[in-house]
Amino acid sequence: MLDEEFKREINSISKVIDDLDYYQILKIDQMAFDEDIKKAYFEESRIYHPDKYFNEPPEIQDKINKIFKRICEAYKVLSDQDKRALYTKLISGPDRKKYLRFDLRLLKTETEKKEDEGTSPLAKKYYKMAKTAFQNKDYKAAKINLKLALQIEPENHTFQEKMKEVEDILNAKRAYKTPN
Amino acid sequence: MGKAVGIDLGTSTSCVACVIDGKPQALPGPDKNLIQASVVSFLPDGSRVVGNAAKKMMIENAENTVYSAKRLIGRKYFSAEVKKAQAVSSFKIVEGPNQSVRIRIQERDYSVPEISAMVLMEMKRIAEAFLGEEVDKAVITVPAFFNDGQRQATKDAGTIAGLNVLRIINEPTAAALAYGFGKELSQKVAIYDFGGGTFDISILEIGQDVFEVISTAGDTYLGGDDFDDRLIDYFAERFMREHDIDIRTDRKALQKLKNAAEQAKIELSTKLETVINIPAIMTGPDGPLDLNYTLNRNYFGQMILDLIQRTFKVCDEALQNGHLTSEDIGALILVGGPTKSPIIQEAVKNYFFKEPQANIDPELVVAIGAAIQAATLTERKAGALLLDVTPMSLGIATAGGLMDTLIERNTPIPTESSRIFTTTHDNQTAVRIKIYQGEDKFYEKNELLGEFRLADIPAAPKGEPKIEVTFEIDANGIVNVTAKDKDTGQAQSVQLTVSGGLSKEEIEKFKKEHAGKDEEVEAYKPGAQLPE
Repeated sequence: MLDEEFKREINSISKVIDDLDYYQILKIDQMAFDEDIKKAYFEESRIYHPDKYFNEPPEIQDKINKIFKRICEAYKVLSDQDKRALYTKLISGPDRKKYLRFDLRLLKTETEKKEDEGTSPLAKKYYKMAKTAFQNKDYKAAKINLKLALQIEPENHTFQEKMKEVEDILNAKRAYKTPN
Repeated sequence: MGKAVGIDLGTSTSCVACVIDGKPQALPGPDKNLIQASVVSFLPDGSRVVGNAAKKMMIENAENTVYSAKRLIGRKYFSAEVKKAQAVSSFKIVEGPNQSVRIRIQERDYSVPEISAMVLMEMKRIAEAFLGEEVDKAVITVPAFFNDGQRQATKDAGTIAGLNVLRIINEPTAAALAYGFGKELSQKVAIYDFGGGTFDISILEIGQDVFEVISTAGDTYLGGDDFDDRLIDYFAERFMREHDIDIRTDRKALQKLKNAAEQAKIELSTKLETVINIPAIMTGPDGPLDLNYTLNRNYFGQMILDLIQRTFKVCDEALQNGHLTSEDIGALILVGGPTKSPIIQEAVKNYFFKEPQANIDPELVVAIGAAIQAATLTERKAGALLLDVTPMSLGIATAGGLMDTLIERNTPIPTESSRIFTTTHDNQTAVRIKIYQGEDKFYEKNELLGEFRLADIPAAPKGEPKIEVTFEIDANGIVNVTAKDKDTGQAQSVQLTVSGGLSKEEIEKFKKEHAGKDEEVEAYKPGAQLPE
């Protein structure tokens, strides 16, 4: 049989769990190392794993299940570097409450936002050179490098957009020069 | 209250185990064998034989003998695997309701879970005979890569067999449990599970009493049976070149060749060379023709090299997903009959740079792990804690043809994810949503699990109802869908249709139908005299 104290504990945790972030659920701080996250997951599992309560009444099993599912979820997100970084950023912001539970769609939009710097090493190199040239306002050199990058990866949207930007600037310059 | 056992329900063989006085052990059948063939043979008088005895009847009673039912379980009639089975099976496979598969025996159609239930009933009976008491609870194992439909159908088979299915667990996880239980280990282990019909690789981290599955990958179309098929084709081709007769056109001869090929494969595990000899396998223009060839291990190894290489691609995937290299693996465990072959052992050793664990019987280890889990769940004392993962991503179909992934593969289970749905036109009362499992970004290329329907939505302008649907994957790896009205918190009715599955009513009906048959089958116990 479960002692009364533990019953009270699972009662209160299952009530407040929706207001806790993943760090609080795993009882670790935001600076925790990767090993600490796994250790915490194992420790919490030793307390809340549903198999330990398999013969308890359904109302206890339901609460344990709810807590354990959230422990698994916390571990899944915090043990993935990209997910953890994004999650930590979101819960530290003004909309903390909205982001307490991680949504895969957020990660997708986030990665889509990131620029695609190419997949082949050569294309990456040309794109980097194009960016440097762009920063130095050497738009002709930027155009040449982008052209080379696009020859390798014609489908790359980042390259295409940058190319358009460079061409617009060059066209504008040309238009400016024509009256002379 | 009855006993709880662990059952390894395999493609070609099954095994039952139980924890007795704290010690897990596999239980012998009436023929003293610890493993039984997953074969059911129906006799003309309406009774049936199950297990090793049924396997012996595969030649004489070919049309009424069902084997490898696991290849069909939870599959839809139109799937490639069912078409393949249809082409090679000696029993008849027909289409049932709701795209399901039925097996036609003596004018009667059996669902696949019913056939599997007969094997489970045999396992139950073996355990009862050995333990001398009733067995009514079981943990049943499935390949890690089984999807929701296949798991559900296996659970249904247990219910039909009169068992309370405590849990469905993954075969590699069970093997890890059998290896590490009570040893207080702290290491990562790789489970290379090559079964009769499926291949799985799982990588687990053991931390004393906790068993965490880090990653899992598999190929449900690759198994030891494929080795047999290679041998059959090889011998049949050789025979055809000599005599211009194709053995594969004669079902009885083919079955004989199949048995001999399997035998040759097993013999090559211990011998370097084997002779395959079937007198009068076919009749030619000048009388009966014998098949007599020798085969050596090296040549056989070359024949199956590409199949073994395919497993390493899957191993690469599992290691990559777990951000690991083979150097991180502390122990290597082989599971499944085919891994007894030195050809596989050598190849796996070279891949992992590691000797596999000795003293583990690859054919019993899964059932033993299942028995440990069954004891953990039924006895109120500290046992092993499994932290398993879902092998494939779960998502829903979106309007653009893309899959909206709700739960990624290798997510720890149990887990859940919610989405809010609404209506697209005024006063709409129902919404249909299709659920898929798989990794392709287009849902059409993934496996359709089923469709659910949110019904009785109160009349309202479009976009106003907000229905929160929660998709849960439970500890069995089975998907549950619940819904509630976001504003009122009231439960919303969900009607879920699993493609190719059985309804609750059908399961109950089959359970009743098969429950009374025990005594009848009793007369033909495995090992007993077979009717001629």
